[in-house]
Amino acid sequence: MSKNLHKNICEETLYANFFKKYANDLHSFLYYKFGEHLNPKDKVQEAFIKVWENCKNITPEKAKNYLFTVGNNLMLNEVKHQKVVLRHRLEKPKSHTHENPEFLMEEQEYSQKLQKAISSLTEAQRVAFLLNRIEGKKHKEIAQLLDISTKAVEKRIYGALKKLKEQIDEL
Amino acid sequence: MKREELIKKWLDNELDAKELQLFEKLDGYEDLLRISNGVQNFRRDSFDTDLELIKLKKAIAAKNQQKNWLKPLVAIAAAIVILFGIYHSFTMQGTEISTLASQKQEIALPDHSSVSLNSLSSLVYNEKEWDTQREVQLQGEAFFKVEKGSTFHVKTATGLVTVVGTQFTVKDRDELFEVVCYEGAVRVDHLGQSIVLQKGDRYIKMDGITTPNTTTNQSSPSWITNTSSFKSMPYSAVLAEFERQYDVKITATDIDSKQLFTGSFIHDNMDVALKSITLPLNLKYIRTNRMITLKGE
Repeated sequence: MSKNLHKNICEETLYANFFKKYANDLHSFLYYKFGEHLNPKDKVQEAFIKVWENCKNITPEKAKNYLFTVGNNLMLNEVKHQKVVLRHRLEKPKSHTHENPEFLMEEQEYSQKLQKAISSLTEAQRVAFLLNRIEGKKHKEIAQLLDISTKAVEKRIYGALKKLKEQIDEL
Repeated sequence: MKREELIKKWLDNELDAKELQLFEKLDGYEDLLRISNGVQNFRRDSFDTDLELIKLKKAIAAKNQQKNWLKPLVAIAAAIVILFGIYHSFTMQGTEISTLASQKQEIALPDHSSVSLNSLSSLVYNEKEWDTQREVQLQGEAFFKVEKGSTFHVKTATGLVTVVGTQFTVKDRDELFEVVCYEGAVRVDHLGQSIVLQKGDRYIKMDGITTPNTTTNQSSPSWITNTSSFKSMPYSAVLAEFERQYDVKITATDIDSKQLFTGSFIHDNMDVALKSITLPLNLKYIRTNRMITLKGE
């Protein structure tokens, strides 16, 4: 409710709440879209600093969009600079002592296939799918975050799953 | 329920118990589950919101501080620039003296060197810095009597004339660049060349051609005594000088303006002067107000 009371987000507690609400989401968005190599955490910081510097011109309603646009642009600038190939980190499968080596190797192989398949998704598909599967976000939440319709989110996630399955079957 | 719908519902965690049973019987159910579990390996680093907020606050505070000491610094720098600019505009502002057509002027420079400025000419010099740098900028023609002292520079659009103490004229007009030394020695830096003129030497550059050294036996230019004299000069140069001295416009379309002229005209009687430049070449003139038309006979 307090949203309408403020013309902008320069007020400190308002800004802090804004951070608490969106920092985590922005990080997941940037991470899944651009990978870990472009320091998504730093970009989150930079984006929020930009928001603070321009806080006078940013209404609470516009703040989220502004934040995500800035974060995205910061990443794009870096991509242009470095031409870093996107790659997702592969965590080692948990070592279960009771699993036999053959199983472990198979698991590892599967994970590599999956990694390749994830890289082949479009950015839009990857972000929506990983936010859903890893972050456990509902379609509606993702829609709000990305400013798209729930139908579009559904399409992206389903499309991603279909593509991943096809890719893995092929490999 | 269709397969696609079931999968979509599963993806959004919206399946009820009955639908879940249906979903588990789907062809390829195992594969879907494996993918869903498999991507968990690609989970991002943990993100500690509170910790990141503290970092952010520190970064902003540091930035503010930076700005705080930057601001006065910028202000000081700006003030220095402005003061410097004001100082410069006062000290660098030269004294400018110019003459109109048919006007001449005597100028005394700060060190009692004197300059006679011929018609339609201008001279700029810096009074404040005269002690350290004797330099004038000349447009047109002037006769200099320079007191002994540090080197004296005459800058023109065409060349640089350097002297120590001497008497000379510099003429930098559209049609020619001329330096005549009447006393002492003068150095002319022109087109990358450096030429030293001794007493009586003339340096003339006309239409891109340097005339071989000619000499004069006069002690000062004739125009100082209100006469313009010419020695083997193109007729166009004579007419240009006449225009300046009498503030008139001369049209001489069907006349060979390149033919050389030796002679002179006075500055205080136009009719006599006109006769003295037209009669030797058998020319006739028609005078209407400030327009003069020359015709061959």
